[in-house]
Amino acid sequence: MAIEKSSKGARGSVQCENTSLNLLKANDFMAENIRKEMKRRNILMLNITSSAGSGKTTLLQETARRLANQVKMKVLVGDLETERDASRIRETGIDALQIVTGGICHLEAQMVWQAMDQIDLEGVELLIVENVGNLVCPASFDLGEDYRVTLIATTEGDDKPKKYPRMFLTSELMLVSKADLLPYLPFSVEAVTKDAQEVNPDIGVMQISSTSGEGIEAWCQWLLEKVEAKRKPQLTTV
Amino acid sequence: MNRLVQVNLRVGLLSNVEPVLMQTAFQALRETEAKYQEVSLEIETVPVKIYCASCEQTSEVQQYKFICAHCGQLNNNVVEGTELLIHQVHFSEN
Repeated sequence: MAIEKSSKGARGSVQCENTSLNLLKANDFMAENIRKEMKRRNILMLNITSSAGSGKTTLLQETARRLANQVKMKVLVGDLETERDASRIRETGIDALQIVTGGICHLEAQMVWQAMDQIDLEGVELLIVENVGNLVCPASFDLGEDYRVTLIATTEGDDKPKKYPRMFLTSELMLVSKADLLPYLPFSVEAVTKDAQEVNPDIGVMQISSTSGEGIEAWCQWLLEKVEAKRKPQLTTV
Repeated sequence: MNRLVQVNLRVGLLSNVEPVLMQTAFQALRETEAKYQEVSLEIETVPVKIYCASCEQTSEVQQYKFICAHCGQLNNNVVEGTELLIHQVHFSEN
């Protein structure tokens, strides 16, 4: 701790160094707890992010319909208000819990941790967290997920990866959604892929449409592979 | 050590924090809460830096192009620029 006195002598100051306080420390701490719990339970956890209205819930409905017989999955869904998204997902027969953030524009690890207490995780293999529709602050809040998947709808424009770099930097997979509308829109999958990979060379890219079904097979395949990799190793009889 | 006189933040360009807005918010606090009237806020923005393992060098990211400045390879190994830190706090002596 260095003590500096101003030359006027009127007021000195004590400067505390090495006191850097990470303002996201509490979140990162909770996220690590979630990560450990998911590892212990062999649950694959995904954090699905995107702008509002790019088709996260519709994709999850479609995913639930296709995979419900193969994978035991549950969904946590964040919104500022209403139960609507959780209800939509429950319509497909999947257990979904709404996290109402009450005006907060992103999910924090603490909210997910509390929600985990309200659902039965016994036997669950896949936990999908649908984040609040927003490409800005959800990027900064680790939820303890294994993979972050970001949707970008063709209706949004192909300039988003450069405008919201942190989200694309921290995602493992980018899903170009509403691909059935490509013939009608000035959206270039090639350009969006190039921009996303300039921000994050490791990001995977898939083109999907929950309406036409395009690319859903490949997306489900990707999910199944990741679930399989996280599954508890089965004891084999010798 | 008693009265708080200055708070220093380190804010990465990827932290989604806008220093101007932060200063304005702090100004509002200063004007409404008498005890903060003489406290100043210093915000240091931190550029985005990536570390390239093959060059063993760190370089600054320009225009959000995550490319090593030395070898030109795409690189997302961010080592600086995401932080949001209360870096220092200064107190008056009396």
